[in-house]
Amino acid sequence: MGRYVLRRLASAVVTLWILATIVFVMVNVLPGNVGRRVLGPFALEEDVVRYNHAIGTDRPLISQYLTSIRRVFTLNFGDSYQTGSSVNKIILPALFRSGKLALLAFVITIPISIAAGIFAARRRDKVADRVVVNAGLATTSIPDFVTAAVLMSIFCVHWKLGKVFADPPPGSSVVGQLPYLLTPALALVVAYFGYIARMSRAGVIYGLQADYARTATMKGLSKGAVMRKHILRNALAPTITVISVQVGYLFGGIIGVEKVFNYHGLGSTIINAITSHDIPVLQGAVLLVGIVYMVSTLLADVLIAFLNPRVRLETSR
Amino acid sequence: MSDSEKHVPQPAEVVSTPGADVLVPQSTIATTATPPTTPAELELSGVVQVSERQQARRENWRLIRRRPGFIIGVFIVLVWSVCAALGDRITPHSPLDYRAGTHLSPRAKFPFGTDEQGRDVLSRVMAGARDVMKVAPSAALLGVVFGVIVGMVMGYFGGWIDLVLGRIVEAFLALPVTLLALLAATTLGSSTTVVIGVVAALFTPVVARTVRSAVVAERDLDYVTSAKLRGESSAFVMFKEILPNVSGPIIVELTVRIGYAVFTVATLSFLGVGPQPPSPDWGAQVSEGFRSISASIWWTTFFPAAAIASLVIAVNLIADSVQSVVEAS
Repeated sequence: MGRYVLRRLASAVVTLWILATIVFVMVNVLPGNVGRRVLGPFALEEDVVRYNHAIGTDRPLISQYLTSIRRVFTLNFGDSYQTGSSVNKIILPALFRSGKLALLAFVITIPISIAAGIFAARRRDKVADRVVVNAGLATTSIPDFVTAAVLMSIFCVHWKLGKVFADPPPGSSVVGQLPYLLTPALALVVAYFGYIARMSRAGVIYGLQADYARTATMKGLSKGAVMRKHILRNALAPTITVISVQVGYLFGGIIGVEKVFNYHGLGSTIINAITSHDIPVLQGAVLLVGIVYMVSTLLADVLIAFLNPRVRLETSR
Repeated sequence: MSDSEKHVPQPAEVVSTPGADVLVPQSTIATTATPPTTPAELELSGVVQVSERQQARRENWRLIRRRPGFIIGVFIVLVWSVCAALGDRITPHSPLDYRAGTHLSPRAKFPFGTDEQGRDVLSRVMAGARDVMKVAPSAALLGVVFGVIVGMVMGYFGGWIDLVLGRIVEAFLALPVTLLALLAATTLGSSTTVVIGVVAALFTPVVARTVRSAVVAERDLDYVTSAKLRGESSAFVMFKEILPNVSGPIIVELTVRIGYAVFTVATLSFLGVGPQPPSPDWGAQVSEGFRSISASIWWTTFFPAAAIASLVIAVNLIADSVQSVVEAS
């Protein structure tokens, strides 16, 4: 088990390095002069030169590259071009706010979609199953910002159940934040329900046909016990993987939802950094999304290996 | 099992899992016949092979056409294609005409109402189909072409090429396509060409992974070995011998990718990367309209949003039908 985790960790480090390189290349394709863009067209040329020197954009690309890689691995992304404060002070609170929204969304999505998956698998190819499968396909394929806009017009404007702006007033309690966060979270629930439901449905259908399920049934176990003790344990592995991948992607998909509800999370931080050409913040925020993805898939792989000894053995060979 | 071979389900695959095992039948048909020796026999066996493959394809096509999801999907896509092709020649008003009066609710003259500048929403939704119907399929097609080339090279050559490309593919998959596209489009600009190129480039790793696993399953089959023994070039073996036998998952991947391309292009234009105002575009319309929702003006947002949803769902219905038939065959 320890060796397995170490191997996975080593491969995550390599992926992070490649990722940092991809982001560096993309950002440095940027034509033009960072100092000029930040200080504006009316700044004096010597100020622009001094600024570029201070932030290091006049150094050779290779040394900028080494700095940017070092920053990724020390988790210190430097200072924001725009405000001058540390990038971490900007992106970590934003990650926390987006995380709050994501957590609420997953707390609602996971039980509902796994239950729907089991429900559909038990009624395979019947009307109820087709409804779950096709509804899942439809809702997941709609972009999140579309769902967010439609839910906002129904829940917040027509029924007046939620707030149009998702940022709760500072100092409000956990319960007090719910009316603000619930509608944007629902938009994410709609978007991620389908993936998880379809995956758990597939897992349960596979389990229902497996020999061990037949053995358990013939042993005289009730249907519920077979499902709980035998099928679900096996069907859960691919579902966990899908959920972990979704956690990573959610921080990308959340951009649209955050824009619709005017929420100051990681998504709006990224949009902001793009419009103001704040490269360190942009680099930091994008890499943070990548790190979240890698941590969540790593945790999922370890969890699956923990649940299923066969995975452990196969990969440690 | 190397790490690059490890299977991490991606959203695309949860909706579609074009597996490698799907394709065995066609290739076994091709190889059970007596191995051809002379050029003439080669020619002949090629003809037989193609006709059997064509027969299987015709059968699949017949099954696909009968699925209700496919029919509904094609109908919706056709409606939007007509809107895209004819544009303001068939819209009831000009999509740029602002003389109607602002924020009129839906009524007989303006079935979808008018927007904050007094333009007819129905006309703008119809004309707005043009950009997405042009950009999304081009991006998906280009992404699949690149992905097939990369995936074919990875699967066919294996070894360190596979290892290195596999790691790069994996790194790309750690970030959402929308985010990377946003990043690239801000540095490169937001013209149509850039959006097509960026989305295609970001689809390449995903497609490459699917194609790679299909190619790995074919690589050691007899027909590939015999082609190599005949002294055929790698390019010939890859694109003339293996490619026809992995066409199933590639076609599935293409239909799924078109759906994702519509999704991505709409999201990008909502976030400001894409056609600039005043030209009509669904994502941009939602982005202009959603702030008036709080004033109960829902129609400027709802109709373009519904248009996006209908097109994505239609493409996915087609993709789903194609996938289930191809995987069952």
